[in-house]
Amino acid sequence: MIRVENLRKVYKVGNEKVVALNNISVEIQKGEFCCIVGTSGSGKSTLLNMLAGLEKPTKGKVIINGQLVSKMTEKELAIFRQNNIGFIFQSYNLMPTLTAVENVAFPLVFKGIDKDVREKKARAILKEMGLSSRMNHKPGEMSGGQQQRVGIARAFVGKPKVIFADEPTGNLDSNTTKQVMKMLLDISEKNGITFVMVTHDPELAKLARRVITVKDGNVISDTRDGVNLMEEDLAIAAEYEAEEKAQKSNALDEKVRAEKNENEKNDRIKEKTVYNNDNQRK
Amino acid sequence: MKISDLLRLSFDNLKRRKGRTILTVLGVIIGTCSIVMMVSIGVALDKSFDDMMGNMGDLTLIEVYNWGSNGEAEPLTDEVVNKFMEIPGVKVSTPLYTPRHFNATLATGNNDKYTGWGEIRGINKRALEAYGYEIKEGRFPNDKDKEYTVIVGENFAYNFQNTRKKPPHNRVDPIPDENGVMPKPFVDPLKDTIKIQCKQWTGNGEKLFLEQEIKVVGIIKQDESKGYETYSGTIMDLEDLVKLEKEYMKKADIKDNNNGKKMTYDQAIVKAKDVEDVDTIIESIEAQGYNTWSPTSMRNEMKKQAKMIQVILGGLGSIAMIVSAISIANTMTMAIYERTKEIGVMKVLGCELKDIKNMFLAEAAGIGLLGGIVGIIICYGLSYLLNTIGGSLTGEPATAISIIPAWLAIFGLAFSTLVGIVSGYVPAVKAVKITALSAIRHD
Repeated sequence: MIRVENLRKVYKVGNEKVVALNNISVEIQKGEFCCIVGTSGSGKSTLLNMLAGLEKPTKGKVIINGQLVSKMTEKELAIFRQNNIGFIFQSYNLMPTLTAVENVAFPLVFKGIDKDVREKKARAILKEMGLSSRMNHKPGEMSGGQQQRVGIARAFVGKPKVIFADEPTGNLDSNTTKQVMKMLLDISEKNGITFVMVTHDPELAKLARRVITVKDGNVISDTRDGVNLMEEDLAIAAEYEAEEKAQKSNALDEKVRAEKNENEKNDRIKEKTVYNNDNQRK
Repeated sequence: MKISDLLRLSFDNLKRRKGRTILTVLGVIIGTCSIVMMVSIGVALDKSFDDMMGNMGDLTLIEVYNWGSNGEAEPLTDEVVNKFMEIPGVKVSTPLYTPRHFNATLATGNNDKYTGWGEIRGINKRALEAYGYEIKEGRFPNDKDKEYTVIVGENFAYNFQNTRKKPPHNRVDPIPDENGVMPKPFVDPLKDTIKIQCKQWTGNGEKLFLEQEIKVVGIIKQDESKGYETYSGTIMDLEDLVKLEKEYMKKADIKDNNNGKKMTYDQAIVKAKDVEDVDTIIESIEAQGYNTWSPTSMRNEMKKQAKMIQVILGGLGSIAMIVSAISIANTMTMAIYERTKEIGVMKVLGCELKDIKNMFLAEAAGIGLLGGIVGIIICYGLSYLLNTIGGSLTGEPATAISIIPAWLAIFGLAFSTLVGIVSGYVPAVKAVKITALSAIRHD
């Protein structure tokens, strides 16, 4: 369903290059519920953005459902998103002027679907998510958990092939997190939708069958039902880590050497002034 | 994306920031008002010019003169004037001749009991009707008529005075009495026998050189645009008049430096089939070296001036519109900065670029249209006030100071909407460039 080949992303910050993703190759199967785990700065969000086509990779390919997402134009991406992709945001990102029903139906607006058709669909899915009483409320009148459920409904309403979620429970308390997580697992399984979710919470990731752990722009572990899938990658990661360590130690050596030089120089100056002072006194 | 959805979203967004929208719309209202009011004053001016021109008469007439042309042009002879007929669009052309050498008087009744001044004009018989004289009584002369068959001006009959009576009883003026009834003149031109008499003062007193009976077959309506002859003159076939004058000259022994050569005229009249043709005909005649005058060319000149005044007024008005355009652009840019995240989200949800662009353009157009509608309504009010109060101040309530025709109202709406779209364009393009990624940024 989703295939990632040698994905690399380098950001330029000022004159410095920052490697966000080093070299990632992953495959996610159809209907799989996949968690991408990692600490902040590990590159997990960058990976998700790249998968969803929000960012272009520096190198490598992202292929979803046989289509090369990483090379699509903005226009192609829009159509592709309409037909294949749902997205759940950490901060819900509902339209503040629209009611729950309208928000859920919003992606269908872009597809040019009639108002009554799309709102009927939206109502059905909101009912399924237990939000019957909140249909005509605006986001400002709902709790965080309710808003996120609207957000989830919005991702599912177009029956996409893949749903991406960026820390979907990041803004929720632990109780709501559990509810929402269960809901996500249920619906995606029921509809056979491939679900890719980013989280920093390893506990949450345990609920998913597939867990991809990212660190410093590399996949350091990839398990399905606890079985390690990519020992190769592990090796690469280890190698990279070793290399980095070596670089760091080199840098350290350099620093020590520089400090030493500086000290020697200072000593020499000191000696000289002492000598000069002596002469003056004489 | 459906247009209805697009418009609804745009409208919702306008409603969301009511205060700011209202302020921006206010700018457009002021802009629209200033342009439309300025142009409406120009239109009123144009109309008052037109009304003025309405009194100047027949717009298809062109008068042709042969003066001031440095002798470049051929003298206006019958041939030359007939040649004007060949210019496309010309309905008729004729010399207009006023005798140079004799002053005619008119006489009728026993022993010339009644006499009057005879203002005689010579015009081609066939041109009489085409020239635009209108018969009030009787008919136009035709080919079967004998020589010296004429038509006369509306008040021709009042020309005659009774030589046997003393003033004021010797004359009847064409002024209606208190019941609106015109007094009866001494003479009935269609029935009475009238003579033209050419007298000349000599050393031995007044001498009658020539007397010619004429037959009046028609009385024409007075027409200020044509001249005095329609008031009380005598209009004669050109040939007859020329013949009459020659005869008189012979009898009175008057020498003309034109003698022996072809008859030339000072003035000719050319009538166009249509007002549209007038300009090209004038061009063609002036190319031959003649001078022309026509109500149309004068009208065109005045129209040009009125247009220029309109453009200047409109230009003044558009300054306010430019300011309001800047304010729309500013509002839209602000809106886009505010909604950066929203636009990102919409992109992530699959909104196409053109829809995003159109949405913001529709918003800007909405501001323009709204301002235009309210502006036009206010303009009608202002115009009304200006015309009633302003009219009463100048004491001329009949002339409108400001006129807003339908086209101006529609133009005002279209223009304000266009200003909205144009000033919303750059911000809309900016909105399109916002990346989908901005949906994710937590700020």
